[in-house]
Amino acid sequence: MINVLLIIFTISLLYLSIADRLLTYIKILAFQGIILFGVAFIELIQINPVNLALVLLETIVFKTIFVPLFLNYIIKRNKITRDSEPFLPNFISLIVITLIIIITFLLSNSIVDSSISKIYFIVSLSAIFSGLYIIATRKKIITHVLGYLVIENGVFILSLAVGTEMPLLVDLGILLDIFASVFLLGIFVNKIGDVLKDVDVDQLKKLKD
Amino acid sequence: MISLILILLASLFFTGLVIWTKSITSGRKGPGIFQPLKDVLRLFKKGAVYSKTTGIIFQVAPTIYFASVMMAIFVVPFGQARGFISFEGDFVFFAYVLATGKFFSIISALDTGSSFEGMGASREALFSMFAEPAFFILMGSFALLTGHSSFQGIFTAMHFTTKFSYALGALATFVLVIIAMVENSRMPFDDPKTHLELTMVHEVMILDNSGFDLGLILYTTNLKFAMYGALIANFFIGAIPWYLALLVFFGVQFVFAITIGLIESFTARFRMSHNAQYIFALSSVSLLIFFGVLLVLGKFI
Amino acid sequence: MIGIYLPGAFIIGGLLLVNRNKMLSNLLVLAFLVLQWIFTVYEYRHINITEFNYFKLDALALLLLITLSIIAIPAMYHSHIYLTTKKDTPRNSAIYYAATVILLTTLSAAYLSNHIAVTWIFIEMTTLSASALIYHRRNNRSLEGTWKYVFVCAISITFVFIGILFLSFSLQHRGGGGLTFDALLTNAATINIFWSRLAFIFIFTGLTAKLSLVPMYTAGIDAKDKAPSPAGALFASVLMNVGFVGFFRIYIVFANTSLHSWTNHVILIAALLSIFVATVYMVKVKNIKRMLAYSSIEHMGLIMLGIAAGGIGYYAAILHLILHSFIKSSIFFQVGQVYRVYKSKSIYDVGNYFKYNLTGAIVMLLCFIWVTAMPPSGLFISELMIFRALFQSHYIIVMVLVMFFLTMIIWAFGKNIFKLLFAPPVGFDDSNVVKINPVESISQFIFLGLIVYLGINPPVEFVTLIQETIKNLPK
Repeated sequence: MINVLLIIFTISLLYLSIADRLLTYIKILAFQGIILFGVAFIELIQINPVNLALVLLETIVFKTIFVPLFLNYIIKRNKITRDSEPFLPNFISLIVITLIIIITFLLSNSIVDSSISKIYFIVSLSAIFSGLYIIATRKKIITHVLGYLVIENGVFILSLAVGTEMPLLVDLGILLDIFASVFLLGIFVNKIGDVLKDVDVDQLKKLKD
Repeated sequence: MISLILILLASLFFTGLVIWTKSITSGRKGPGIFQPLKDVLRLFKKGAVYSKTTGIIFQVAPTIYFASVMMAIFVVPFGQARGFISFEGDFVFFAYVLATGKFFSIISALDTGSSFEGMGASREALFSMFAEPAFFILMGSFALLTGHSSFQGIFTAMHFTTKFSYALGALATFVLVIIAMVENSRMPFDDPKTHLELTMVHEVMILDNSGFDLGLILYTTNLKFAMYGALIANFFIGAIPWYLALLVFFGVQFVFAITIGLIESFTARFRMSHNAQYIFALSSVSLLIFFGVLLVLGKFI
Repeated sequence: MIGIYLPGAFIIGGLLLVNRNKMLSNLLVLAFLVLQWIFTVYEYRHINITEFNYFKLDALALLLLITLSIIAIPAMYHSHIYLTTKKDTPRNSAIYYAATVILLTTLSAAYLSNHIAVTWIFIEMTTLSASALIYHRRNNRSLEGTWKYVFVCAISITFVFIGILFLSFSLQHRGGGGLTFDALLTNAATINIFWSRLAFIFIFTGLTAKLSLVPMYTAGIDAKDKAPSPAGALFASVLMNVGFVGFFRIYIVFANTSLHSWTNHVILIAALLSIFVATVYMVKVKNIKRMLAYSSIEHMGLIMLGIAAGGIGYYAAILHLILHSFIKSSIFFQVGQVYRVYKSKSIYDVGNYFKYNLTGAIVMLLCFIWVTAMPPSGLFISELMIFRALFQSHYIIVMVLVMFFLTMIIWAFGKNIFKLLFAPPVGFDDSNVVKINPVESISQFIFLGLIVYLGINPPVEFVTLIQETIKNLPK
């Protein structure tokens, strides 16, 4: 079952690569939150109930409801145009993300350790690099934040791989997630949106040599 | 043998059902579900008119197209029952016999010398090219999962024991439905209703066909739908008794037709330039299915 | 003691944040400095004792903690001058002081922590306070710098976290205490090679944001440029050291596995690229603070070269790190005065500094000599040792390349500094130049003296501490 959920998660990455609108990105993030909820529930069922409740709450309340709503609010408030405005055509993005998945899959071949399930490794690394790719190839600052959130989801999956043995690391991952997302989004909504109106990366090119 | 009869049966009402669904959802009463068939019969009674610029290829292409689809249907099994012919690796045969038919319809479109038809042919070729890896990777992963390489072997060996194979079946259904849409040039990849030369794909290729030939091509579309429906149904038939299997078969065909009707009613056509990426996404999804199978089997390259 | 220090410092930070009274805030800052020093002295007397499971003061932590406590005093002093001359609003001053206090506290805690996750948490917290400092001027450009810094740091801490996860994969027994540096070192021989390779790559890449190395050096440049000079001094010294602490502790673990030479190669490549990037930008750059930031990249690259070369390079690297903290912070303090005189950081707008601020010009000249590692600077000794280590470990080509780059850097550095000191400024109205009190340069003179002392005639205790730091590394 976990395998199926993780494969669906990876498919959502592919969809992310061809999505045109920011709203689609946000929906995908919410969807990924639901999948992570499922994965965390199945994987971590044996750990301490309080801790489990924390993890599940984080995935469902924070990742699935709070962050997407907040992103939506930011987009509306700052009147950001709805296109994602990639530098590269979506078709190339799709090929690149497919290649990322293939490469992580091939890389996972060289794992000799049997105690870690390989699929976690493949899916999380694909998510991390897809997130980096999205950050690198999208023009808007808000899409950078979205890419970062995808990376966070990848990290969360990776932390689940050792979740039963080291629940501490899952908690740390959640800490990072909440800290960084709130921090980034907070700066965005309070400062960037007020100071720079229609926000894209071109306005952040004054500091250079 | 039984699959051939069933598919022919399903083909009689398939397009009618799609049109009926679309009519209902748009608030019209709609024609009877045999109306497309009646159209085809009417066309069969007419003789064909051939343009002077066309050659022999244009005249034989519709027949070859129809024959290729029939050949493809021959290998499709029905649950335990073998298709008309069945051998190891017949899904490759299936794909390429379809490709042959498509090739002939493309060169016949080029044969007319019309620039519109050439444009449509180029698009059709491009989309089929992107859809092909998806089909092969999908069937390849099933061959890997079951250890058989014929349709019949694959479908018989697909016992739905684990949750994983259910999910795999669902994903495969998704991929096959989209492939069917691409191959039949339906929405959201191509809109058979709008005759706008900028966006036409399939129907622009058959502009010059008339009479019997046109009827053949239209009927082949029905057949193709029914054939993909049969393939999808096979994922769910497995080893259940024949009367249940029959029910499942027609149920799947019915749901498939209604799904297509609903998709066509509620989605807009994709932008032409975006089609390629959506179709290629199918290959990526099948690739993921392939990886999933590899992971489940514990086999790595 | 850390149980008292951390809450105490956080309370002081919190009070500074809400307080609007000038007198009280000065007193609070003074209280923090006293607390910092009591803490330092206490820890100095209780070396190698584990506190609260996760904190342990070893030699490296002690060295860097003392460095931090020394730099903290002039940093606070110059911050005070900066804020009073700029006549900042009480609110902004409050945020500035609070952020500085929290930054110094989290840095100290990060030095001391003995658990990789705890180090990670405190490094994460330094980003928070540092971004408040970068945004101090509250204009478009400082916002840009803040956003870039925060974003790159967010990615970098994520990378470090991924590295920690891979490290936990590589352990045979994933018990609770498996991720303390001591436990990692004890189990170094048994860790899984594949995972630990990935772990090192990710942790190292993540920490380069703090270390100011290729590939994530960009964040630090904008931060040091946009932050007020005293904060820039902290960024260029103690904040880089925290990256080094994280890196070095992990490096010790890896040096005791079969991956030692592989890690050395990774570090060598990063270091060489960093020095190359620093050279390219030093030649091009027109902003004094950015130039200094690139110079930090160069020095960090040299330190990494020392580590990669091994042998005497280890000793030299630690020495260089500490000396660099002093020299870089004193230059940044001095640049604050330059900015007050010319109201600009651009190299085009400055010049004839001797005429306007004699003491400051002397400090600037000396700083130039010191930072480019000319004798009698202590950095000369450490760089010499690094080159010796490179020579001994047969990295001849690397050494030649680095020497070439360093020559270019000295030329570029000198060109800009001499422009500042001797060439007449263009279009500078010197009718009402701000007079700088020479007293403000005393701390820089003390630091310069300290560098010479530590480099040429290091006290025995200092040497033993460095030796103690590197004792777990293979010879």
